Amino acid sequence: MTPNPSDPQGEVEVEAEAEAETTEPDPLADFAASIAEAVGAASHSTEYETIKIFVEPDAWVDAVTKARDEFDLAFFSWLSAVDWANEVSVGDGPQEEVEERYEVMCALGDLTDGNLVIFSTSLDKEAPTIDSLVDVFQGAAWHERESHEMFGIDFSGNPDLSPLYLPDAFTGHPLRKSYPLLSREVKPWPGKVDVEDMPPSSQNPEA
Amino acid sequence: MTLAIVFWAELAIKIGIIAVAVPAIGMVLGFAEMKLSAHMQSRIGPYFAGGRFGWMQLMADGLKFMQKEDIIPADADRPVFRWAPALPLIGTMALLVIIPISAAEFGIIQDLEVGIFYALAISSLSTIGVLMAGWSSANKYSLMGGLRAAGQLIAYELPLVLAVVGVVIQAGTMSMQGIVEAQTAQAWPYVVTQFLGFAIFFVAALAELNRIPFDMPIAESELVMGYVTEYSGFRFLFFFLAEYVNMFTMSAIAVTLFLGGYWFWGIPTDSALLGVIVLLAKSFVLVFIMIWFRWTFPRFREDQLQTLAWKWLIPLAVLNVIATGAFKVLL
Amino acid sequence: MVIEQDTTFQISEVAVSVEIETPDMTLNIGPQHPSTHGVLRLIAKVDGEKVTDVKPVIGYMHRGYEKLAEVRTYPQITSIVNRIDWVSGFANEIPFIVAAERLMGVEAPERAQWVRLVLSEMARISSHLIFMASYPLELGAATPLFFALRARERVLDLLESVTGGRFHPNFNRIGGIKPVYGSGPTTKKTSMDVPAGFLAETRDAMDKVLGTCREIEDLVAGNEIFLARTKGIGVLPVEVGADYGVSGPNLRASGTDFDLRKKADYLPYDQFDFDVAVGENGDCYDRWLVRLQEIREAVKIIQQAIDGLPSGPIQAKVPKVIKVPKGETYVRAENPKGEMGYHLISEGGSGPYRLKIRSASFSNISMLAWILEGAIIPDIIAIMGSLDFVLGDVDR
Repeated sequence: MTPNPSDPQGEVEVEAEAEAETTEPDPLADFAASIAEAVGAASHSTEYETIKIFVEPDAWVDAVTKARDEFDLAFFSWLSAVDWANEVSVGDGPQEEVEERYEVMCALGDLTDGNLVIFSTSLDKEAPTIDSLVDVFQGAAWHERESHEMFGIDFSGNPDLSPLYLPDAFTGHPLRKSYPLLSREVKPWPGKVDVEDMPPSSQNPEA
Repeated sequence: MTLAIVFWAELAIKIGIIAVAVPAIGMVLGFAEMKLSAHMQSRIGPYFAGGRFGWMQLMADGLKFMQKEDIIPADADRPVFRWAPALPLIGTMALLVIIPISAAEFGIIQDLEVGIFYALAISSLSTIGVLMAGWSSANKYSLMGGLRAAGQLIAYELPLVLAVVGVVIQAGTMSMQGIVEAQTAQAWPYVVTQFLGFAIFFVAALAELNRIPFDMPIAESELVMGYVTEYSGFRFLFFFLAEYVNMFTMSAIAVTLFLGGYWFWGIPTDSALLGVIVLLAKSFVLVFIMIWFRWTFPRFREDQLQTLAWKWLIPLAVLNVIATGAFKVLL
Repeated sequence: MVIEQDTTFQISEVAVSVEIETPDMTLNIGPQHPSTHGVLRLIAKVDGEKVTDVKPVIGYMHRGYEKLAEVRTYPQITSIVNRIDWVSGFANEIPFIVAAERLMGVEAPERAQWVRLVLSEMARISSHLIFMASYPLELGAATPLFFALRARERVLDLLESVTGGRFHPNFNRIGGIKPVYGSGPTTKKTSMDVPAGFLAETRDAMDKVLGTCREIEDLVAGNEIFLARTKGIGVLPVEVGADYGVSGPNLRASGTDFDLRKKADYLPYDQFDFDVAVGENGDCYDRWLVRLQEIREAVKIIQQAIDGLPSGPIQAKVPKVIKVPKGETYVRAENPKGEMGYHLISEGGSGPYRLKIRSASFSNISMLAWILEGAIIPDIIAIMGSLDFVLGDVDR
C-alpha cells in the first residue's frame, strides 16, 4: 500500500506535531526512499511535503518509465526546468553559491492516493540535452516544447519542438536567468522597495 | 382600352400590397421574436427600450443596420455577392402572391391552377440565394454554410413535397383557393386526416427556413455565421428580412394546406377583413411555435439531419401518400 | 503509451463508388472564432466536414507570468495569479499562498481557511455556471445562457461583497486573508472579513443556484437533440487522460474519482461532507453532467461552511516584510478546471527564485489533436466546449 502524504488538517495536525518528536515512521519518507531505490536515484528529499527524486540524465527516461509502471504514477502532471545561475539579470539571485546548471523536473502523480513525485535531473549549461519523454507520456510533448523555447533545452526524440508560445521571429530563451526583462531595463519599476508603511490617516492613526 | 387600364391598375395595387406587406410582416415578426425571446430569457432591451413595450429596440436595430458600411470582400465575386441577398426576398414576395385570404373576389392576389406546385418550386429559390452568398463570399466558412444549405434543401424538399401530395390527393386540386374551399366544404381542416403530413411539412419547413434546430448553414458557434459571415449592413438586413417573411409565408402555406386557411367555424368566408384576421391568427400560432423552438432547442448535426430526413421523414411521407390514396379510392 | 483512437465514423462509412481525388481544405478555426473561448487557433485539415488532421496553436494570450513572478514580491504575486484562469480567479490564489505559507512555516487561522474555502467553492460555482451557460450555446441553444448567468451574478455579487472584486479578488494574504481597511492585526481592532448580512445572502443565493441547476437540467438534459449531440461524442478513456495530464471534471467524467479536495490538504475539506461527482463514459454528456453535479456539491459545502463558520483571528503572525526561507515545494489544488499547482522555489529573497505554474487547461487541451482527429466540424465544437478551458489558463 502506498501511503498518503496528505495528513488531515486542523486538530489532528496539532497532535501530529507533538508526535513528530517521538520519531514516528514517516510514510512520505518511506515512500520516497522506496522509489529512489527502485529507480537507482542518487538522492531524494521530502522537504516541505514534496517528494523529489534526483536521477542522472542518462537514467531519466528509465526512471520515469519505472515510476509509471511499478509505482502506478501514471498521471503526468507537468514538466519544466529551472535555470540555476549565480549571476541573474532580473530578480534576486541565490544567496549562497549554487552550481551552474539546468534542472529539469517532471512531476508524476497517481490517481488513487494523491501521491505526487517530482523527478529531477541536472543538465550541463553548455549543451543541455536530454532524452524526450514523449514515448512514455504523450502529454510531455507540449511541456517539452515549452521548456525548449523558454530554457533552450534540447529534448532529443521529441518530434516537434517548434515554439509554443513565442512568436516565430523571437530570439532568446526568456526564462533563463540571463535573459533581461526588457520593460524593466527601459523603466525601472519601484516594485520591491515599495513596501513602506501606510501613511498616517484618521482611520489608521497608529501607522 | 379600358381593359388595359384596369389591368395595369390592378397590377399596381397588387404590387403595392406585396411591397407594403413584406417589410410590415418582417417588422412584426422581428419584433415578435425580440419580445418572445426577451420573455423567455429575461432580456432587458425589448422590455424597456423607448419607455414602453420596448418599441425602440427594433428601430434601433434597424437603424444600426442601415448606417453600417456595406463591405464587399476583396476576393469576392462581386455581382454574385451583391445580388445574393435579393434572391431570398424575391422568392418570398413571389410566395405571398398565392396565399388566399378570402373566398370573395380579390380574395387572392393570383390564383393559379397549380398553386401549391408553384409555391414549392419558388420556395427553394431562397436556397439558391444562400448558395450564391456562400460561394461568392470567398470565405471557407461561408462556402461550408452554403453547401450545408444545399444539402439541406435536397434532403428536405422531398418530404415537403410528399407531405403536400397527401393534401392534393384529398382535395383533388392543386389550386390554393381550391384546397381551402375543399376544407370549407367538409367543415374540417385537413390536419385531422393529414396530421402526419402536417407534422412532416412543419419539420421540413423548419429545415428549409434554416431555423433552429436546423440552422446548420448559419451555425454561429461552428461556422461563425455561415453564408452571411461576410455580409454587413443593408445586405445583411435583407437576409434577415427574408428569413422572417419566409417564416410567415411558410406558416401561411401550412395554414392554407392543413389548417383551413382563412376558414374558421362560424366566421363568414367571404369577408376579406375577417379572412385576413383568421389567416394571420393561425399563421402566428405556427410562427410562435417556430420562435419557441429557436429559443429552446440546440442544433442538430448535419449528418443527424440527413438521417432524420432520409430514414424517417421520407418513408413516413411515402406511407402517408399511399394511405391517403388508398382511402381516396376506397371511400 | 501511444493509444490509437478509433476513428471510424458514421459519415466515413458511406461508401463512394466513384473515386475522386479531392484535396483536403485547410481551415483556420480561430484565433477569432465564436467557439474557441478566446484566442485558440486550430489549423484543421478538413475533407468535407471531416477533420483529418488538427494542429492547435496557442500562445496568443501568453503573458509570461513565470518570468514576471521572479521580479515581484510574494504579496504582489497574488494579483498576477488570479488572472491566470479569470473565471475562477479566487481559486488560483490558494495554492500559491499555501505554498508560500508552507515554506515560511506559518498556517492561516481556522476562520481564514474556512473563508478561503467558501470563496473558492463560490469560484467553482461561478466557473461551472459559465460552462453551463456557454456549452448549450455552442450547441445552438441560447436560453440556458441566461438562466446560468443570472444565478452566477448572485454568486459574483457575494464574492464582490467580500473581496471587492468580481473576477480578480486579490484577497489572500500570506498567513490569512485581507481584513477590512482599518481593522486587522496592526490596529488590534476586531478583524472583519465578511460583510454584514453575508451569511443570510449566501443561504439565499445557494438556494437560487440549486433552483437554476434544476431549471438547466430540465431544459438541457431533457432535450433529445442535446443528448444526440453529446452522448458518445469525444470519448476520453482514463488512461489517455492521465497520459496527457488531463485533470479535474474532464478526467472524473471518464470514471475516476480522483479529486484533490479529498486527497490533498491545501484547505480543510476533510471537515466537510460532500461527494465526488464521477461520470461513466467520458463523453461530452458526462463532462457536462459531472460539472452540474459539482455545482450541487459545492453548494452543499458552502452551506455546511456558513453554518459552522468558526470565529477567531483571520491573520497569523507574519513579519512586515515577507521573506520566504530557502526551499522548494509543490502545492496543488483542485481548481474548477482541474489540477492547479505552483512549484515554488525560494532562495530566501522577497520574491521567488522560480515559480512554475501548472495550470489545468494547458494539460487539458494538450490532447486536442488526439481527441479531435477524425471528428466532424460540429463535433469539434461540441468536444472543445465540453473540455471547458480558458485561454488565460492555457497560456499563462
